[in-house]
Amino acid sequence: MKTAFGLVSLVVVALLLRSTALSVLAARGVVLDVLAFVTVLWALKSGEGWGSTFGFVLGLVSDLDAGHWLGRHALALAALGYVVGRLSRSLVRDSVRTQLVILFVVTFLHQTWSLLFELRGPVGLGFLLGRAAVAGAATALAGTVALILVHWGAGQPLFGHADIQSGPAH
Amino acid sequence: MGGFLPPAESRSNLLLVAYAAASLVLLLTGDRLPQSALRGVGAALFAPFDRVVLAGDRLSAAWRENARLHQRLADLELENVRLRDEGVENQRLREQLGLASRRPSALRPVEVLALTGEPIPSAATLSAGERHGVRVGDVVIERDGLVGRVTEVYPTLSRATLLTEPNNAVACEVESAGVMGVLHYVTTPRPRLVLTGLSFTDTVRVGQRVITSGLSRHYPRALPVGTIARVNRDAGGFTQDIEVAPAVRLSKLRHAFVIPRTDSLPESR
Repeated sequence: MKTAFGLVSLVVVALLLRSTALSVLAARGVVLDVLAFVTVLWALKSGEGWGSTFGFVLGLVSDLDAGHWLGRHALALAALGYVVGRLSRSLVRDSVRTQLVILFVVTFLHQTWSLLFELRGPVGLGFLLGRAAVAGAATALAGTVALILVHWGAGQPLFGHADIQSGPAH
Repeated sequence: MGGFLPPAESRSNLLLVAYAAASLVLLLTGDRLPQSALRGVGAALFAPFDRVVLAGDRLSAAWRENARLHQRLADLELENVRLRDEGVENQRLREQLGLASRRPSALRPVEVLALTGEPIPSAATLSAGERHGVRVGDVVIERDGLVGRVTEVYPTLSRATLLTEPNNAVACEVESAGVMGVLHYVTTPRPRLVLTGLSFTDTVRVGQRVITSGLSRHYPRALPVGTIARVNRDAGGFTQDIEVAPAVRLSKLRHAFVIPRTDSLPESR
């Protein structure tokens, strides 16, 4: 029940941010992909089952809001939530480097997938990949800084230890 | 496959397969679903949150805007006196020439609660709906020019499709040049508004204003749309690609005005 409430709250917050503050930034060319960010966050915390569920619900609501291609974000975010959730078992989830890389890769993939639907030929492919890479870098940096700040504020690890920690075996 | 995996893992795999299948079905059949009604429910649910989130931004913007508007009000009052005088003269001349008289459009102020679309917004949720007299097809403008059209109406809210919606087309003309074209938003190779359908013999210059043309049945004539930002001609000079900078900063929309659609206005003489 608590998890479901958290899921709904995070979906609402993400969509509100996306339609208000972040839309101004996006118009200036800096796309902060809050959908990818919160999906990564949820999947790292809760694993692949909840990760894909969260991604699917968030994606579906945002597809509905966009008015085109129902299922576009839902499919990508469900798959990415699942993959990140699976990876979270074997990663040091509180590592800044891990968060940076995961956020970059997930945002890049999500943006590329979403932008592919706008492509009307091979002409814009370079521009599309460039836009996805910029969005990936911006989201990774901003997201990692946000997680560091929350970590400092909370005074404890955000995600706890992974099932299998990396490093030399004892 | 489930038998080889632990139960939790198997359940997660099944969930993913179910979500992927549902997403694919929606991708293929989503257009047939009553999305408008669902969006209406979503807009109504989100409207109070949007208002709260935007309150701080609106307050600081209103503070800054107040001083500027005072100055503008004084300027406009002076201009209004002059225009009234010229309006009377214009009316008299139109009567002498046998031209139909123009009626001023009724403007309904609305608040823009949310913008949809990245990186450039393509739709906006407006704070007025059916109960306030807003109808599908009403034109949405801002002080600087055309914003878009109302495409969905809910009881207390509505949704406007902006100029930057790729499926939207606006019949336009280049002011004072009489050159007609159709304005489209294209996303590739980069997002921009493009004026198409121009004859290759038409001559336009950077900086000229683009306004809605009388050919459009959806928009009243002479609403500012933007200015010509770039003219690209092909090597042979047969086609031209004209980029238009929008008159309105769509990403910064906070307030707008709704004009009743043309066919709902009383008939002009």
